[in-house]
Amino acid sequence: MPNRDEAARLAAHARIGVLADELLPALIAKLGATGLGELEVREGNWKVRLRRPADGVAAGPKVATGRGSKAAGSHAEHAHPVVTPGPAHDQYRSAATSPAVGIYHPRPEISSGSRVRAGDRIGTVDVLGIPQEVVAPVNGVVGAGLVESGDVVEYGQPLVWIELISAPAERTGRDA
Amino acid sequence: MFSKILIANRGEIAVRIVRACRTLGIEAVVAYSEADRDSLAVQQADEAICIGPADAKRSYLLAPAVISAAIVTGCDAIHPGYGFLSEDENFAEVVRAHGLTFIGPPPQVLERFASKEATRRLLGSQGLATIPGSNGMLRDDLHGLEEAERIGYPVLIKPSAGGGGKGMRMVRTPRELEAALKICRSEARAAFGDDSLYLEKWLEDNRHVEVQVAVDRFGHGVHLGERDCSVQRRHQKFLEEAPTPALGEAARNDLAERALRAVVAAGYENVGTLEFLVDTAGNANFIEINCRIQVEHPITEMLTGIDLVVTQIRIAAGEPLGFSQADISLRGHALEFRINAEDADHDFRPSCGVVERYLAPGGPGVRVDSHLFSGYEVPHFYDSLLGKLIVWGPDRPTAIARSLVALDELVIEGLVTNIAIHQALLRNETFLAGEMTTNLVDRVGAAAFLVAGAR
Repeated sequence: MPNRDEAARLAAHARIGVLADELLPALIAKLGATGLGELEVREGNWKVRLRRPADGVAAGPKVATGRGSKAAGSHAEHAHPVVTPGPAHDQYRSAATSPAVGIYHPRPEISSGSRVRAGDRIGTVDVLGIPQEVVAPVNGVVGAGLVESGDVVEYGQPLVWIELISAPAERTGRDA
Repeated sequence: MFSKILIANRGEIAVRIVRACRTLGIEAVVAYSEADRDSLAVQQADEAICIGPADAKRSYLLAPAVISAAIVTGCDAIHPGYGFLSEDENFAEVVRAHGLTFIGPPPQVLERFASKEATRRLLGSQGLATIPGSNGMLRDDLHGLEEAERIGYPVLIKPSAGGGGKGMRMVRTPRELEAALKICRSEARAAFGDDSLYLEKWLEDNRHVEVQVAVDRFGHGVHLGERDCSVQRRHQKFLEEAPTPALGEAARNDLAERALRAVVAAGYENVGTLEFLVDTAGNANFIEINCRIQVEHPITEMLTGIDLVVTQIRIAAGEPLGFSQADISLRGHALEFRINAEDADHDFRPSCGVVERYLAPGGPGVRVDSHLFSGYEVPHFYDSLLGKLIVWGPDRPTAIARSLVALDELVIEGLVTNIAIHQALLRNETFLAGEMTTNLVDRVGAAAFLVAGAR
């Protein structure tokens, strides 16, 4: 029994790999090109679903800076500075977060649709001139960016979505 | 003057500094760790920026994170509060190298006073009596044993860096010394990243009396009287008062004036505190200087009416003091109670959790410096200070009477606090007589104070 489970698991993983490599980049490109909010593809036991962030571009936390100078002592008028970051992951995706407080620069060769593996470098945050690496938290495909190159970011701030490939599909497969 | 200050601290002192910034019309940016995202200082700040995870070594103690946060938010100065990076001369130097101002003494002044043992010799040469101690840092255990023999037991082992009672032990015999040196060394290394130790003669019945000074860039200095911090548990202060009941008015004035003359001559700048041990005969021996704002600064503010944090910011900005010794009068008597989340029934174990209900006391002369609010979750990563109750009265008995009322009004539900031990102390005969010494609570045992107070 354990052997058959092991074999089934390996087969499932191989299938996920193929889906991730071939299908997903194409699907993400398609989703980007259309105005659709969600795409779902079924094949056998597998199901892949892509969904846009609810408001088109996910609202990341606003770092409390660049809001211009204000009249001193008029804090009652200030926009509330504290913004709780949105969740850094959900069922379908996981955000790469900032390792430090500084200035964000994505790697030029990484763009929406790029395939990445957990631990891959996707950009840097400049801390006093020393770049700190931003890494992909999971295997997946680079999705929507949450901040621009050159933006001030704080520690733990979600920077870019990595769309998951395996987890939901695997889950669906087991349920089936 | 600065236009925007980064506050690199947390808890009640971060709230206190936000208030000082507001008073001066300066914008306040609070740098916080992930564990302090919902803190009062973050809510009150003009801006807030997360600098790292809960672990202080990766946030509040991480100089590049703090300085980067100051630069990207457009600050021109950094206020370090107390603890964390507040007395780190290397940090102050890096802050300056990035074109920012460190709010405290300039780096070269901090460096001069960085070693406690060297400072003792420096101020000794400026005419202050110092406590007998080892010549320099202890090279090894053998050197420690020789020096202890020369000074005479009992001796106090002290780390060169830091404070808060960490790495400190009183020993009475060579055997105790050998065992304690190892413990102190590892404690000091863990707490301050520096395990150099020195020895001080231990005075059996001593009072801790400290003088508050403020010196501007032009060498114009004032003292703001003294504070008595003799109520301690394991070398940690928890109840302070001013003026000290240990000395008469003439002796207090004399001590404060001598302290001020010595630090001005030694080139000190900004607010600072000189700590002394006063023996039973009234002799004051200098032990160390604190180059920062102190936890117990509010009692001096109550007596003088001078905002010490504002003064600190002004001096760092290069402004002249703007007042002289003749402008300072010390009125009445003030007490400060450190309200800690700790369980006196269980060896003062820190407690944490959600503050289910919080109600601050009020009335004449009552001030509360705290970061608590109902629903606040006290994180377990940092010290247990929940806030400070400061009570002023025209005289000591009135201040004590008002304190009992205020402590009774103070409601903190959801956490175990040390409020009961303060109430017990205010009913204790030794305290009422103004005769507390620094080791009395440890010698008698906190439990005994509590039991006596409950009667």
